[in-house]
Amino acid sequence: MIKAILTAAVLVTAIGLACAAVLVIAAIFMSVKENEAEKKIRECLPGANCGACGYTGCDGYAKALAESKNGQVKTNLCIPGADAVSHKISEILGVEFEDTVEQVATVRCCGDCDNTEKKALYSGMETCAAAKLIFGGDTACAYGCLGRGDCAAVCPHGAICLDDGIARVDARKCIGCGLCAKACPQKIIYLMPDVERQVVACSNKQKGADAVKVCKNACIGCGLCAKNCPTGAITVADNLASINYELCTRCGKCGEVCKRGCIRTADYSGKHRQKSAG
Amino acid sequence: MSVWKNFIKGIIKENPTLVLLLGTCPTLATTDSVSKAFGMGLAAAAVLVCSNMAISALRKVIPDKVRIPCYIVIIAGFVTVVEMLMHAFVPDLYEALGVFLSLIVVNCIILGRAEMYANKNTVFDSAVDGLGMGLGFTFALLCMSSIREIFGNGTWLGYEIPVICNFKIPILVSSPGGFFVFGVLIALVNFLTKKEPKKELGCGGCPSAAFCSMKNKDGGCAEEKEAEIND
Amino acid sequence: MIKSLLFIIFSSILVDNYVLTKFLGICPFLGVSKKTDTATGMGVAVTFVMLLATAATYPIYYLLLERFGLQYMQTIVFILVIASLVQLVEIILKKYIPALHKSLGIYLPLITTNCAVLGVAANNISDDFVTQAGSFGGGFLMALAAALGCGLGFLFAMILFAGVRSRVEKANPPKCFKGLPITLVSASILALTFYGFSGILESLFGLQ
Repeated sequence: MIKAILTAAVLVTAIGLACAAVLVIAAIFMSVKENEAEKKIRECLPGANCGACGYTGCDGYAKALAESKNGQVKTNLCIPGADAVSHKISEILGVEFEDTVEQVATVRCCGDCDNTEKKALYSGMETCAAAKLIFGGDTACAYGCLGRGDCAAVCPHGAICLDDGIARVDARKCIGCGLCAKACPQKIIYLMPDVERQVVACSNKQKGADAVKVCKNACIGCGLCAKNCPTGAITVADNLASINYELCTRCGKCGEVCKRGCIRTADYSGKHRQKSAG
Repeated sequence: MSVWKNFIKGIIKENPTLVLLLGTCPTLATTDSVSKAFGMGLAAAAVLVCSNMAISALRKVIPDKVRIPCYIVIIAGFVTVVEMLMHAFVPDLYEALGVFLSLIVVNCIILGRAEMYANKNTVFDSAVDGLGMGLGFTFALLCMSSIREIFGNGTWLGYEIPVICNFKIPILVSSPGGFFVFGVLIALVNFLTKKEPKKELGCGGCPSAAFCSMKNKDGGCAEEKEAEIND
Repeated sequence: MIKSLLFIIFSSILVDNYVLTKFLGICPFLGVSKKTDTATGMGVAVTFVMLLATAATYPIYYLLLERFGLQYMQTIVFILVIASLVQLVEIILKKYIPALHKSLGIYLPLITTNCAVLGVAANNISDDFVTQAGSFGGGFLMALAAALGCGLGFLFAMILFAGVRSRVEKANPPKCFKGLPITLVSASILALTFYGFSGILESLFGLQ
């Protein structure tokens, strides 16, 4: 009896101690030094894991910053954190501070109720994702805004409203977190630098003749804008014009020549900045 | 809180299975017959009372950092005792429950109660809480197994029920039926209590909740349990 | 031998699926199956830990516990060993394969007390592979095959269910069915499909 109890106790204790010993040894010999700077940076970051910086969440950005040499990774990539965060990070890393380029979301569709039609009567759940599941949505244009506000639902600052069947972004409220861009099943919301002005407000990639049928404002890829752009910033690919913002001088010529009215001027400059300053 | 209230809350208001949604594995697996469910419920209740008492008595001794492993070892000890007792006195039931008897160790209810209640309260309170929760678990298992056995097999505790045994729905005693009956039962509870239904499984009872990094992460377990722990 | 190993693997994936037929590991199955990528991560991590746990507990049971007549200590010893093993793996992964640690790391502590893992370890003992195979080595191989099959079956069920759930989330059931109840009912339909696999292996492998 005593012997049985003793064997049991000794054996289980031995197994337990062996496990503990292995763990302790492993913890000592295989400990990974966490980068001090990385930890500190991570604490400054807002932790929204929005990915606007282009890294996999705040952890990824903190790591990239801590490991970068000579400031290869810029400290001003955190959009929701804006200047305050990039100041802090610059301090930790001891590099020079640069202004955050604020981003603002734009909906690349202008097919409101006057310009386009529904191709079917949809009466399911009122979310874009659900509507998209059924034959790609009920809008005539397969690329257009479904207008059920999945973007508005995720927007933490109420910057998106639904107006006339499409989503519109209030640039003054937008913090550029990009959550709406992720939520949009049509993938027609993009983040663009706060200061840019010309936007191709259409995502239709159909051939001109087909695009005309589905929306009065659809880009038909005629290339007029590209021909008239003084700096060659506009290219037409897949029947859709796109603007290279590195070349764009914001002259506004493209908007003037566009016969379809889908190149629009988005006057973001300043508004957003004023809001964050105030 | 009075002793009676403390006891009764586990059976109705905070029923571990139907309201807190803990311990889903044994609930689904052992409810295909009433006798199995009854055995499972009582075995878990016994372990729950003992472990709650032991953990509550040791709550000032156990260092905070290693409390979860300590709890698990204590619980495993009691489970082994219950296992051996059942093997000796009710071998049929022991065989029928099989691996699920030793899996009481990782039953969320037991670790959940240790973490949520026993490590903060006195031995007596913990014992009452354990008894209430254990009986609540047994009660829920009984309800579910009765539905499954009566309609699936036409019997209750092995006795044939006239009329119904001619219209059996055998799928109810098999695995898909388990999921189905459990789903409908929770829906029924939601309907009767008119409460906002709980969205997901709670995290608080999950044995790993203390060191789980998924807890507050989108796409992981839900985090609603936090509120309950604070209650 | 190979045939019987394959038979074990496939039967634990399709016929005796741990989640849908044996009701083990329901918590992660319902909790982490909201998105396909998290479901996959969890499934892979569980498969990995199941294999490791079997590799550790099987020899411990036969070489230590059985020799000293302590079979009844199985539960305590297994959970001790599995818990420390998971910790150890986490430390090792963090040091040597950080990429893998990053993708699986968050799931590892969750799995320590997952009933599917302990269930595999316990089932492998109660299935008595040593007598079936005739030797300890053969039994060990069979146990590993069973662990692999169970893990893959878990992964399979998780991924399938994550796909189902992404649709279910968008449905509009009666109010009291919202959330877990409707998830359970859809799981029941998934289990029903796996029910259809019973008997398929006997004919595939020519056993009767």
